Amino acid sequence: MENKLYGFAGKILLVDLGAGTTTAVSSEKYRQWGGGHGLGSALFWDYCKDKTITDGRDPKNVMVVAASPFSGTNTPSAGGRCEVVGVGVGQYPVSWYTRSNFGGRFSATLKYAGWDAVVVMGRAREPVWLDIRNHEVAIRPAGKLWGTDTKTLQQKLWQRLLEEAGGMEGWYRLPGKRGPEYSTQKPAILCIGPAGEHQVAQGCLIHDSGNGAGQCGFGAVWGSKNLKAIAVQGSGAVAVADPAALAAARFAAKEHYAADFDNPDLRHWGPFGVPAWPVIFFDQPNEHRRVQACQGCIAGCRARFNVGYGNEVSCQETEWYSPHVIKWCKGDKQKASEIVYKTADLCNQLGLNSYPMGIGLDWLIGLREEGRLGPGKEIDSKLDWDKVGSLEFIRELLEALARGEDIGALVADGWVQGAIKAGREADWRSGKLLFTYWGMPEHGYDSRLELEWGYETLICDRDMNSHSINFIFWFVNISVIYGFKPRISAEKLVKVATDKMKPWVSGPEALDYATANMYSDAVMDMVRWHTFYSRFWKNSCLLCDFRWADLFNTNRPDLSGATASETAGEQVFWNAVTGEHLSFNDGIARGRRIWHLDNAIWALQGRHRDMMVFADYVYDKDCDTFEFPFYLWPCRNSAGEWEYTDLLHRRLDREKFEDWKTRFFKKEGLDPGSGRPTRAGLKEQGLEFVTAELERHKCLGREDKV
Amino acid sequence: MNDGDKAAISRRTFLKSLGTVGLVAAAGGAFFLPGSRLMVIPNSQGFLVVDMGKCMGCCSCMTTCALVHHGFTSLSLARIQILQDPFAKYPDDITMAVCHQCQDAPCVKACPVHADHVDGNFGNVRTIDPQRCIGCLQCIAACPWIPKRLQWDSDKGHSQKCDLCADAPYLKEKGGPGGTQSCVKVCPVGAIAFVDKMPDQKSKSSYNVNLRGKAWKIMDGSTDDIVREG
Repeated sequence: MENKLYGFAGKILLVDLGAGTTTAVSSEKYRQWGGGHGLGSALFWDYCKDKTITDGRDPKNVMVVAASPFSGTNTPSAGGRCEVVGVGVGQYPVSWYTRSNFGGRFSATLKYAGWDAVVVMGRAREPVWLDIRNHEVAIRPAGKLWGTDTKTLQQKLWQRLLEEAGGMEGWYRLPGKRGPEYSTQKPAILCIGPAGEHQVAQGCLIHDSGNGAGQCGFGAVWGSKNLKAIAVQGSGAVAVADPAALAAARFAAKEHYAADFDNPDLRHWGPFGVPAWPVIFFDQPNEHRRVQACQGCIAGCRARFNVGYGNEVSCQETEWYSPHVIKWCKGDKQKASEIVYKTADLCNQLGLNSYPMGIGLDWLIGLREEGRLGPGKEIDSKLDWDKVGSLEFIRELLEALARGEDIGALVADGWVQGAIKAGREADWRSGKLLFTYWGMPEHGYDSRLELEWGYETLICDRDMNSHSINFIFWFVNISVIYGFKPRISAEKLVKVATDKMKPWVSGPEALDYATANMYSDAVMDMVRWHTFYSRFWKNSCLLCDFRWADLFNTNRPDLSGATASETAGEQVFWNAVTGEHLSFNDGIARGRRIWHLDNAIWALQGRHRDMMVFADYVYDKDCDTFEFPFYLWPCRNSAGEWEYTDLLHRRLDREKFEDWKTRFFKKEGLDPGSGRPTRAGLKEQGLEFVTAELERHKCLGREDKV
Repeated sequence: MNDGDKAAISRRTFLKSLGTVGLVAAAGGAFFLPGSRLMVIPNSQGFLVVDMGKCMGCCSCMTTCALVHHGFTSLSLARIQILQDPFAKYPDDITMAVCHQCQDAPCVKACPVHADHVDGNFGNVRTIDPQRCIGCLQCIAACPWIPKRLQWDSDKGHSQKCDLCADAPYLKEKGGPGGTQSCVKVCPVGAIAFVDKMPDQKSKSSYNVNLRGKAWKIMDGSTDDIVREG
């Protein structure tokens, strides 16, 4: 290999769909941003000429699909994730610059083809797809591929591309700089389905069977650009600075932190060391399945079945429709399983983000029960709502949502927007339509209880969907539900976890979610740590959210997880791949800088602290119920002792939370009156280059208030 | 006694038993019978077997293989290949393709310059000397399996194949038969195993075994045997 820009492929692909051109630029300038999100934000800043746009479907929008130095390497649970950034569709009150992320093998293949990122600009005159075969790139007409679902599209393109490639038995030929190169791998394709083509807010990007960049309507962005797919074939390699160190770290991660596959601890605590096991929330069709993993993963979390449906679906996809299905199937478990998994497939094939569906459907059913929804009613819908729970109904509903028809027309720009359009804004404010923040549904971790989830979401741009801290909830509450004694005491857990966060936090009180501590500086420092950790190590380096950060790990005698460890910490892999000498905390500082760049972009799009609020119900009503009978979290009791405490029956205090925000802005060098960047704060972060543009648009915060 | 000595003695014993003298060493541990074009190839002392029902498709074996041999990560230059169809039904959604270290070693026989040879110093593993390889591709053509179990390194202009990590400069431990194989060591679920007993060469599925233990069943997975060619 000649490339010594270790970890980086060395080139970024600029695609101007309006002009029909493709250009390569060097990655060297962007190395300082890591990869993924940081790289994407820097590219967005450089190539989006009008950053004030607030609809992702605007042709001026620039979308970046970015890999990281870890992509294509064997860094555990990192090699296959991919970041997507740009202005989104469907957020509320503003669709601003945002992000999504998906797994699989796309980013790895992009690196093997020689590219660190693809920057998509402009709008094609006709539907097209992007054909990347190593260094050869072409914008090709989509023709009849436009209109296909994501599965059909991928299967058709695989067939076409592999027939065109030719090669030796089992090996496909690809263009190389010194003659033909070969690969056994199917092209990696990222694409949209009908939902993206119809530019609805739920439109997402799909790769392989079950990988989706779901949040923020990036499918609609591609649809607006007339971009159906990016297909990548790569036969190259990723240069690694210290190959022996990388191999040793990967072996150490398995030996010291991962599950023992022959004798797994089924009551393990900690995300990195869980056994490979599908994260599915409904009865699997049968046991004839494999555990399936994204590239480089150390413990897969999905399955592929022998029944021909449900491949690679996981988590919420297997849960949201299930309450209705159970009622419909009246005890027929096999039929129920089939409907649930086929529903997940339908979402993926239509290119629909399943996340708003469950909460959205509950709202619609409620309106129907009130006599407000149905044929000729206040909210007109001709769907057969008597069949809720059946496969026929959900197919009709999902098709309607994907095509913006029937009820889909109402919510095509977003669910909160739809409620407002229907004169039902009060439903959103009251929590009847349970969309908590930024036009997005509550994630299952109520912001009145699980503080980092709510707080971090508000200081960012979307439902933050980052589980590093949230794993505490899962391991503690699942243990108690099943009647087991917690594997780690509350006192030990908070100590082990917060030791990893030092010096960003001062001690265990950072994880004390007791009502008396919920607006404290200690909690704020934990939120800052987690936000900046996620911005770099997860969203930029592309470590998987389901395995990192590994704050605690019962596979270890000292219960201390892989995160920041000397043998298998994040920085060990980073330094082995890139040749840098980055400390774990240097990485978090980089994440902080990236967050500040994002905040500058949001400021240009009109963001102000007054927008950074939850739906009213979070302040107006106690959270009294949850799917479990309790919501346990480590807290200190009145005697100063740590215990797992039920957090139910509380709400947020508006005034105290506003004060929390003020203190956060001050600590970050932002104008506390607006939450916007200041000249001095930008200088401190090495972001002077954004100052002039903010000033031109009168978006700089006031220095005197800091 | 080191492994190289063992291999040498084994070969001498074999020659003596044939009652021949003056045999011509041709391809490392392999040799031609005098006066004939018949090549005698000692068996490899190690083999990789796989469980196509256990593999997660993470391809860590592939990236680590390329890493320890070349110092970079790559799928095209991995000596084990995992092929997938995300939409296919289990277990046909994954094919694991390992070199069989074939008893009759057609790739060794096909090599006109003896670059593809039997390495007596490393348990008779079939391997390719990149310095001698002339890039004629005959070894790849001779491989009877699909996909071919040898790889073409376009950058360097020669073929390569699995050597059971005998020559893996970035692997800190000793590789080869009796040593560490990086794919076995890295696989998160133990879907690849090293065995010293040669799988049945007459069977087309003997390298595909069941490595799922009791734990697999406990975790709601199938432990059924999967009979697949390859």
